[in-house]
Amino acid sequence: MSIERTNLTRRRFMSNFAFATGAIATGVGSWVVRPDWANALEGPIKVGIATDLTGPIAFAGVADANVAKMVIKEINDNGGLLGRPIELYFEDTASNESIAVGNVRKLIQRDKVDLVLGGVTSSMRNAIKDPIVARGKTLYIYPELYEGRECTPYLFCTGPTPAQQCDDLIPWLIKNGGKKFALPGSNYIYPHTINVYARKLIEAYGGEVVFDEYYPLDQVDFSATVNRIISNKVDVVFNTIIPPGVGPLFKQLSEAGFLKNGGRLACVWADENLLNISQPHEIEGMASCLDYFRAVTASDPVSAKIQATYDRSFPGKILFAAGSAATGTWRGLKLWEAAVKEAGKVDRESVAATLDHARIAEGPGGPPRWCRASVTAR
Amino acid sequence: MASTFVAVFEIASFGAIIVLVVLGLGIIASMMGIFNFAQGEFVLLGAYVTYLAYAHGAPVWAGMVAAPLAVGAFGFVLEALIIRRFYAAPIVAMLGTYALGLIIRESVRGLIGGFYLTVPEPIGGSIDLGSVHISAWRFTIILITLLVMGGCYLLLARTSFGLRVRATLENPALARASGISTPLIYGATFAFGAALAGLAGALIVPVFSLFADLGIRFLIQGFVAVMVGGVGSFIGPVAGAGVIGTLSAALPWVMSPVVADVLVFVLAIVFIKFRPQGLIAGKGV
Repeated sequence: MSIERTNLTRRRFMSNFAFATGAIATGVGSWVVRPDWANALEGPIKVGIATDLTGPIAFAGVADANVAKMVIKEINDNGGLLGRPIELYFEDTASNESIAVGNVRKLIQRDKVDLVLGGVTSSMRNAIKDPIVARGKTLYIYPELYEGRECTPYLFCTGPTPAQQCDDLIPWLIKNGGKKFALPGSNYIYPHTINVYARKLIEAYGGEVVFDEYYPLDQVDFSATVNRIISNKVDVVFNTIIPPGVGPLFKQLSEAGFLKNGGRLACVWADENLLNISQPHEIEGMASCLDYFRAVTASDPVSAKIQATYDRSFPGKILFAAGSAATGTWRGLKLWEAAVKEAGKVDRESVAATLDHARIAEGPGGPPRWCRASVTAR
Repeated sequence: MASTFVAVFEIASFGAIIVLVVLGLGIIASMMGIFNFAQGEFVLLGAYVTYLAYAHGAPVWAGMVAAPLAVGAFGFVLEALIIRRFYAAPIVAMLGTYALGLIIRESVRGLIGGFYLTVPEPIGGSIDLGSVHISAWRFTIILITLLVMGGCYLLLARTSFGLRVRATLENPALARASGISTPLIYGATFAFGAALAGLAGALIVPVFSLFADLGIRFLIQGFVAVMVGGVGSFIGPVAGAGVIGTLSAALPWVMSPVVADVLVFVLAIVFIKFRPQGLIAGKGV
């Protein structure tokens, strides 16, 4: 026996290696939050959260996971759903599509969850929707603001679309900024799609798009862009560049005198979680348009209550913010709860049918309702 | 005219940033024959030290002074504990330093909570020249880069320490026979290279903000610069960095940034194909 242990054969190495890989793959970023009561009759309802718990945009994913814990705890504390407790299953999508697909399969095949909620970027949604909806035959809710045009059956989106974000913002920007727009964006599907819509609106309201341009996702130097903006006397920079590029872009714009000369910044995904990126004077007067800001807690008691519960449960730097999909997660889970209550069961067909018209009376930033055409919550 | 001036300034300032990042990388690669894949993370550590100082209420410039010292000391310890074992196997050294870099990067990501954090410039705002505004901090970076470049050159070419470093590089056995402690020289050189990376990180963090992938962004560009410039001398990688930095900042002025990003590497590969020894071949300063 001892001889066998000391002889490192290739087979032994391979099996150890496979074991270690398996342990790493399943052990990290994969855990269950069980309710502290259990109903013996039918067993718990299982909800899977697949979001970026690690990686460059983990601040958004962790906020979403926090919101899920908060909402599900509240449901469980009030007697659960259909008399059954809800069990939360977390998987890490790690801001990496190939890791995400494997982890999401675990939710579907191993844990057999009744609902998957998650994904932050559009590219992540596109990567995991097929394993969830088509092959996994499971309901999927995507909570982040996105570019629209998502018409996959059994996929429900609870984040705002370009139309919802731009329809009011663009006329406001033309009135309060000026007519000449620049549309710099990161080179992936969301900026490309929202800029097509924004351009249409800008031109419809008598504005002019000086240029729209796309950059590699890791680009951090924007001198050529800033120069074009300054020399063309652009009034409004409608930005869809994401971190890490956005901080340097705003800094270079401010240093080149864009704000001093009366220019206005706009960024539709900017929320409280992202205020760390720039110094206050670099983003003075920046306009954003989202379904919720902390400021509305002053006038909306429902939002104030949700915000207070979140802050109490998760003090720290990860905030309850709309651009990080935290409000979309809240809405998604609450709408699903309402749909399950109406359907009286949790199978995909019945819940999808009731989720299609589910309504909840309140939410952060006001109650949502479904837009039928795009299956997107407002 | 004004626009040309701005263009030249912006391109020069980005070129200076790349030179600053590549200096340490080039010294370690040329003087020690180690391709240090953790160099990007040394840059990140320099940025992190600066942020820490700022977050604890110290002035930013104090953090910038502390960063190269802290990262240099860290590099010295790392060399003695780990890097030293890799000198016989440069390929393994690449993997080893890559792993080190990964550990440092993910640790920092954990420490800053995956956020993007801003650090203000010690010299903020812009210098106004009529209608043209140029960034005061970027101007400072250009000046500091020139000073550091000159300082490194003098250190390696004119001091007895520089002579020992070059002797150790060219013929370690003979250097040892002449009474030079080669392990100490290797340790000091690695620490010096790490300190330069720390300084680079400290100086660029106000420009790019602090995030865990800050270093990796410049690592690839840095290696391409070293390849283009030529391994073996001090001047080679610096010249390569100048070329790559200028190219990557200049090309987006005349073409789509996505194309420019790729074109820099294509040009570098074509160049290395026809001149594999790099811009400046041979050993020395």
